[in-house]
Parts: sequence; structure tokens; C-alpha cells
Amino acid sequence: MTTTTARQTPPVKGKPLKRKTEPICYIAPIILFVAVVAAWALFVSASGISRTILPSPFAIFREMSKNFVRDILPHLLFTLRVILTGYAVAVPLGILIAAVCSQYRIIIKATTPLIILLVVTPMITMVPLFMLWMGFDSKVRVIVVILQATPIICLNTLTGFTTTEGAKLELMRAMGATRLQTFVKLIFPNALPQVFTGLKLGCIFSTIAAMSADLAAGKEGLGYRIQQYSSLIMTEMAYGTILIVALIGIVLFQIVVMIERRVILWVR
Amino acid sequence: MSNAKIRLVGLNKLFHTRFQTIEAVRNVDMEFAAGDFVSIIGPSGCGKSTIIRMIDDLIKPTSGEIFIDGRRVSPHRRIPPEVIRKIGFIFQQPNMYPWMTVRENVMLPLRVFGLRDPEWARHADALIEMTGLREQRHAYPTELSGGSMQRAGVIRAMVHKPDILLMDEPFGALDEMTREQLNLELLDIWRATGKTIVFITHSVQEAVLLSNRVYVMGTNPGRVVDEIAVDLPRPRNLKLIVSDRFAGYCELLTGRIGQVELSQIK
Repeated sequence: MTTTTARQTPPVKGKPLKRKTEPICYIAPIILFVAVVAAWALFVSASGISRTILPSPFAIFREMSKNFVRDILPHLLFTLRVILTGYAVAVPLGILIAAVCSQYRIIIKATTPLIILLVVTPMITMVPLFMLWMGFDSKVRVIVVILQATPIICLNTLTGFTTTEGAKLELMRAMGATRLQTFVKLIFPNALPQVFTGLKLGCIFSTIAAMSADLAAGKEGLGYRIQQYSSLIMTEMAYGTILIVALIGIVLFQIVVMIERRVILWVR
Repeated sequence: MSNAKIRLVGLNKLFHTRFQTIEAVRNVDMEFAAGDFVSIIGPSGCGKSTIIRMIDDLIKPTSGEIFIDGRRVSPHRRIPPEVIRKIGFIFQQPNMYPWMTVRENVMLPLRVFGLRDPEWARHADALIEMTGLREQRHAYPTELSGGSMQRAGVIRAMVHKPDILLMDEPFGALDEMTREQLNLELLDIWRATGKTIVFITHSVQEAVLLSNRVYVMGTNPGRVVDEIAVDLPRPRNLKLIVSDRFAGYCELLTGRIGQVELSQIK
């Protein structure tokens, strides 16, 4: 037999497909960030707006660098632990529930409204109830994170598990593959892009949920700090802490994106 | 009668849609001898795809019987694993899994059938070598040309050494030159391995070039209208295409398909 193929690729196992990114793409977010801060500073100094409504970004930075280690860091670590613990439970739990649900159409139909109900329920409304049942323990906050993050992970993963192309399924059936083989070799890897969408949304939801729990009660956490600073009219610190929360969300999101790039190599 | 590799007896298939019931296949009897190369040709909607899917248990027949190696496999609940291992199915599209490299795709049946002996991996590599895919074995399928991908699809169906290849218009989506090339490669494979091949096509030329025998099918309902033996010398090559006898067979087949379509207009 002869080959008529002209295109050749070096035999590197699992080499990711070329993903060319212009250097401008890397600095674009930084440029935008600098521009926003500059516009903000300009607006504050030009309008003469009160610092209790909108402090200048430089004032926020000054106050934060003065108080960060003593006043923020312990709360940052506390909240971060709540987020990560909850997320670490929510990820396998969400995927597991989706895997079980996806096996039978009837279960998908039955559970989907319930999952959506949980996705749209802001857990902040439930926190006082949880506190009533379980006290002010930090475990309650972890549970809030789990309850908020699991459904969104589950919902996206379930979409991935239930949208496998018919021909791909037919190939598995043509080999007489078992249900487990079909799941491991086809349905799960095929769903990975949607699974990662779920994971990315999950870390955002986890951060939001931890904030909700902090705000509702307790004497620890960044959310508690924000509330306290607001009531003390320490507006710079309140804004600074909000930015720290945003930073947590961004960093977690980017970590998941980095993992996604190392796992999903076949998408151009 | 009894030494047929595959035998279909009185096969019927009804599809129920929301508005109507379609008789996809009516009373089909077919027989495929061991080592034979048989094509099934007909217009779209004649049930030819349905027939090979019923052989591979991808679709359940409404009634009728299917025998493989003399063993009745339908209407069982599920085709037994030792029978399904005798069959390799080749799809119209390459149907590669994009997250696996070419080699991983080719080796997929070995994993599913649990054939872990290194001898099998060597067999897979030999097939990859034979089809000229060695340089691309660690590439992802989307990096390959259509012809190369379909080659991978063909050897994936052969990697577990099945006796039977069921091919559902495997080269229908390829350009004319690639198709001819792959036809010749397929003839080489068939001559070297002696597999029983059931080949679905809508190309008269392809059917005549490849097969010993051609079933002509008609639509509404899908049924066998004729069976034509192609008595041309082997090994066959592209020179054959310009011969008078080849043209004669093409004319005969085209005529039979044409008659079927005319009879429908009446």
C-alpha cells in the first residue's frame, strides 16, 4: 500500500494543537486595567466626589498596604479556606450527580428542574436558616459554598454527558461496549469542554457563596470585614476588600483555565 | 446454504415516526459466503444502511432472522460478544474520537475488547504502517486529511482481526481520486486477509470494481430487486475501468437501478 498523504506532523505524543496568541493579547487586559484605574482617578479628582462614596484608587492602595497584613490577611485565609474546601467537595459531587443522572432519561427529566432551582436560589437567603440549624460554625459556610457551586457544576456537566453525537455512540455499540466502557472512553472525555465550563462557573459561584455566608453572620471572613468597614465609614478599606474578593475569583478562574488548557489539547 | 458467513432470512424493518410508519426494509433475503466481497447498491432511502446496521445489532429488525456462522443472532436481546468480535464496522464519516491521537483511535477496539497482549498493539502498529499513517500516528484526527482519516477508520475496524467488514458508504464523502486510491487499497487488504466484506455504496462504478456480487435495492418499501454476479478477472485495477466488459456491467447495473426508479414513477 502506498501513502498519498503529504501533511506530516512530528511524532510527539499528545502534542497540543497550535494555539497562536499574539503578544498583544497578553498585555491587553493590563492596558485595560490601567486605563480603568486612570479614568477612575481622573473622575474622582475632577468631580470632587466625597471619599465616603467613591475614594480614589490611590487612597485605596495606600490604606490597603498599611492595614493588609494585620486586618485583612487572616480573614483572607479564612475565606479562602472556606471557598477551597467547599469547591473541592462541589467538583466531584457535581460531576458524580451528573454521571448518575445521565444514565437514565427519566432521572434527567426528573432532576433538571430541581438542579435549576438550586442554581438560581441565592444561598444568602438561606444562610440565616442554616445558622439557626447548625450554629455559627465555619462548617456552615462550607455547606453554603457546596450548595451554591454543586448545582451549576452538575448542570453544565450533565449537558456535556447528554449531548454525545449519535455516530460516536454507534461506534461504541458496534463494539459491544458496556455502559461503563462507553462512559469512560466516550461520554466523559467528550463532555470535558462542558465539564470545564462548569468548573469555571463553579469557582465563581463558590466565591460568591462564601461572601454570602460571611455577610449573613459571624465574626470572620472577608465579607464580614467589608460590612464592618462600611459601617465604620472606612470606605477605602471596604473597596479594597471587595477588590481582594474579585482577585480571588479571577485567580481561581485562571487556575481552572490553565488546567483546562493542559487537559483539552485537541481543540484548536 | 449452511456454509454462508452471514445469512438474512425474511428481514423486515418498520420505523415509526410521529406521523407515519415507514417500511424501511421488506422481506429481505441475502447471503454472504465466507471471503466474499458483496456490494449493496440502491437509491437513498432503500434501506441499505438499515440492513448492515441490523447485521451488527445497531438496529433491531422488526421481524426475520439473521445468522452469522450458522448461529442465529437475531431476534436475540443482544448480539453475543463473541459474535460481535467477528465484525468490524466502517462508517460513512471517519467517526474518529477527537480527543484521542490517531493511534489511540485505531487501538480503541482492542481496549474495548480487552485485548491487552502486546502482540495486538504490534498488529495495530503494523496496520498503521501499512496504510502510511506512521508519521501521523500521534497527531489528533482533525490534523489529518479526509482520506487519511478514513484510512484510520478502516484499520480501526480491522484491528481486532474480525472475519467480517461491514462498510457503510465508507468512501462516499471523499473526492474521486482519493476514493479510487482507497478502493484499490481495500482490494489489496481483502486479497491479503480474505475477509467477508459487505459494502454499501451508491456508486455503480465502485460496486462493479470491487465486488463479486451486487444486490440492487429499490425504495418504498426498501427491498431487493436484483442480484447480479460480476464476473471480471482479479486482481482488478483501474485499467479495468476502461474495458468494455466493465462498461457493460455498469450499464447493466445502471439499467436495473433505473428500472426501479421508473417503476416507482408509474
